[in-house]
Amino acid sequence: MLEVKNLTVRYGKKIAIKNATFNAHNKEIVGLIGADGAGKSSTLHAIAGVQRFEGEVVFNGYAYHSPAEAEPLKSQIALMPQGLGLVLYPDLSVKEHFEFFKRIRGVKDDPAYEERLLKMAGLYKFQDRLAKNLSGGMKQKLSLICTLLHRPKLLILDEPTTGVDPLSRRELWEILDETRHAQDIVILYSTAYMQEAQQMDKILLFDEGEIIAQGKAEELLKSAEPYTYEETSCDECFCFDKRCYSLKPLPVPHAKPTLEALFFINALKKGKKETRFQIKPKKVQTPPIIVEAKGLTKRFGDFVADDHIDLTLHAGEILGLLGANGAGKTTFIKMLLGLYPIDEGELWLLGKKIESYEDRIELKNYIGYMSQNFALYKDMTIKENMEYFGKLHELPSKTIAQKIEELSQGLGFAEYLDEFPTSLPMGINQRFSLATAILHEPVVLFLDEPTSGVDTIARAGFWKLLHELKRKWRISILITTHYMSEAEYCDRVVVLKEGKKIVDDTPQHLHELYPGLSFEEIFINFYKETK
Amino acid sequence: MRLGAIRAYMLKEFIDLKRSKMIYLVYLLPIMILILFGYGIRLEVTHARTIVIDQDNSKLSIDLAHAFMHSKYFDTKILPITPDEALASMKRAKTDIIIIIPPSFEKNLLKGLKSEIGVFIDASFPLRGRVMQGYVQGVLLNKASEYLPPQKIPLILINQRLLFNQAMRDENAIVPGLIALALLVAPAILAALLIVKEKEYGTIFNFYASPLSKAEFLIAKLTPPFVLHSVNIFIAFFIATYIFDVPFRGSFALFWVASELYVAVAVGIGLLVSIITRTQIAATVLAMLITIIPSFLYSGMLMPISAMEGGSYIEAHLFPVMYYSYILYDTFLIGQGLQSSTIILYLSILALYGTGLILIGSKLLKKELS
Ligand SMILES: Nc1ncnc2c1ncn2[C@@H]1O[C@H](COP(=O)(O)OP(=O)(O)OP(=O)(O)O)[C@@H](O)[C@H]1O
Ligand SMILES: [Mg+2]
Repeated sequence: MLEVKNLTVRYGKKIAIKNATFNAHNKEIVGLIGADGAGKSSTLHAIAGVQRFEGEVVFNGYAYHSPAEAEPLKSQIALMPQGLGLVLYPDLSVKEHFEFFKRIRGVKDDPAYEERLLKMAGLYKFQDRLAKNLSGGMKQKLSLICTLLHRPKLLILDEPTTGVDPLSRRELWEILDETRHAQDIVILYSTAYMQEAQQMDKILLFDEGEIIAQGKAEELLKSAEPYTYEETSCDECFCFDKRCYSLKPLPVPHAKPTLEALFFINALKKGKKETRFQIKPKKVQTPPIIVEAKGLTKRFGDFVADDHIDLTLHAGEILGLLGANGAGKTTFIKMLLGLYPIDEGELWLLGKKIESYEDRIELKNYIGYMSQNFALYKDMTIKENMEYFGKLHELPSKTIAQKIEELSQGLGFAEYLDEFPTSLPMGINQRFSLATAILHEPVVLFLDEPTSGVDTIARAGFWKLLHELKRKWRISILITTHYMSEAEYCDRVVVLKEGKKIVDDTPQHLHELYPGLSFEEIFINFYKETK
Repeated sequence: MRLGAIRAYMLKEFIDLKRSKMIYLVYLLPIMILILFGYGIRLEVTHARTIVIDQDNSKLSIDLAHAFMHSKYFDTKILPITPDEALASMKRAKTDIIIIIPPSFEKNLLKGLKSEIGVFIDASFPLRGRVMQGYVQGVLLNKASEYLPPQKIPLILINQRLLFNQAMRDENAIVPGLIALALLVAPAILAALLIVKEKEYGTIFNFYASPLSKAEFLIAKLTPPFVLHSVNIFIAFFIATYIFDVPFRGSFALFWVASELYVAVAVGIGLLVSIITRTQIAATVLAMLITIIPSFLYSGMLMPISAMEGGSYIEAHLFPVMYYSYILYDTFLIGQGLQSSTIILYLSILALYGTGLILIGSKLLKKELS
């Protein structure tokens, strides 16, 4: 049993979490949800004994008030901090990570258990691959299974499934579920996926440094019912994922809320409004086909990461590129961008056949790219970052200044211009990364998991923004995501599996084929069917 | 203390060093410092305190003497004293150069007879001595050629003598100092990087959240730089004795023990640097800053410690460099070894310094986010 009493974490004057109080019983999975920067990570760090705090934490009768006092418990605690592969050593292989974590924790070899962990993470075949060569989600899964190796009694997972594909998310859940039935364990689990939170024994809702609600999913959902409506057009409300949320009654029937409702309703109660993005319309002349890939193939040694992939992106189209971790999405985008040489196949960008480096240089200013981990410079402020990228695209200083002004206003991050990316919530970083990618007004955008780890409200805003860009600029977008509900916002989806294309269709048509299923279920079906 | 855990952590460090190619840096950096600086350092000497004794008083001799005036290289006095008086002044370290122009210098030359100018140079600090020697020769011949036809120039003989240190070569003076530099900079940087790298990437969480104790972590982190750089002690020795032909007169065991202690000091400095920095870049720059500058100043390479005064004398004693270089110069050039109580004292100071730094470092190291 874990008891947390009046836990407060301060960073200098700033209070990250104030008076958090909750209990977690043995064999319970407790979910922490809330907007970016709401205090979830600080709470988890404090409980894990890696962050100074005020208040008291009691675990199985042992009370501690500081990291030093928590020290005797560390052999029973496991912490997986937030961030893609943060706790991995780039130059160590999967197997070497296992050895390392086993030894520093003094765990005995248990080949059967280890094999199970590796298989569940889909890494069994890749044990000799270095961490730096794993895909984003594979890194995440490796970090996760490393924390499970010593069979902790208190397992603290900070957004373990960010960037993890839907299939693996289910497998992870099964593993946790099994673990808690087999042994005594308390699991704290923060997540941005509300379907996951829905299954937890208890949910803590965080907002601006406080726990504002806690209870079972049903209880929390009930509280949201009065404010949840079917999709419609309305003022003073938020709409996302086929539902609208409003404090005032709307003239449409109520809809069944998901936990995401809590975020929107809380925001409404605080008087927040949906950010209205102002994008100036622009006339652009583009060829009807923006990207035409024929049989694109990428190999790493014997391993085929992308296997003869055909893909077309039309002007003004939003194309979702889906697939399990390691399916080859990032690799594909990197080939389009010329970050990886193409081993086989042909590529046309904006009607021009790409044969040499010079061809790419010519097109550079028409393309915008946002990488999987927001490649921002941590030592530069947001403004300096944007100026830097503007200069890279050879924009005159005056234009850059003007654009920064315009985009930061339009995308709603003007007040953060002089801050450093590390001190900002993911949602803000995400918007400003997008601003950086569209600074030079490209005609096509490649976005690699721009919404991973970003909170619901920020994601809703982000998709609005993409559609706005599409409408005003007729921009074309190739986007990857592991939120299957976001696939609905795409005009068309392409699904990759182990480097091969298995689906290329519109979401509407897929829904017709599989009536009554959510997109996530459809996706999983496809994955299981195709061998 | 769980040896298995320490061993696993250490193994990880070695694999990482090898795969990230940092291991090359471990050996290249000290070798480059020794070779490049060993060949490369040449000094400019200014304001050498010069006495000219003009026993001739001819037009040529007066002009020659004046050639040493009004130059930033020499602070020249023309004095009517005897050579012995001048030499006494040099012994008291008040004079760097003495130039003696003999009687009938001009007359002899005009007659076509050979004539000798005596030059004494204080070479207690050999590199300076060599540089001054070159300057003096240059000025004399240059001035003489304005007066004499070219075929008469060879008649002037310059009898130069480097005093106090006649067998000293540049290399002998410089190379031990460079060893002191190399064995401080490189281990400090490596030790700092191994820790800061984990802070920068976030892998430091593995330590924070694990039962690994601070002592275990430090042993795992500091042993690799210590062990890897111990090899550099031998490499440095071979470069000094084989490539630069520096003699080795003392005890190798003393050299080795002192060097190990010194590497431990360097590793301790690296540890402190890693505590106050967060990024690899900052750690590298800071480690270089606080090791390179004192090494140049206080290794005796540029100036003997005994010639220092006031503030810099005290500073020299604050940094570990001076103690080690004292032992180095002794083992390479003199060989008193443990006979000398100073050497024993300095060895103990190095040992204390090293343990002190590492103890302070482990006190300051936090096993929590800051
Ligand atoms: N440099 C490399 N060397 C070896 N294998 C690599 C390299 N880069 C990527 N891979 C492998 O190629 C496969 C595809 O990786 P990719 O990053 O494209 O996956 P992804 O679909 O983007 O996955 P995720 O959803 O996890 O981001 C993975 O198995 C990955 O380990
Ligand atoms: Mg990817």
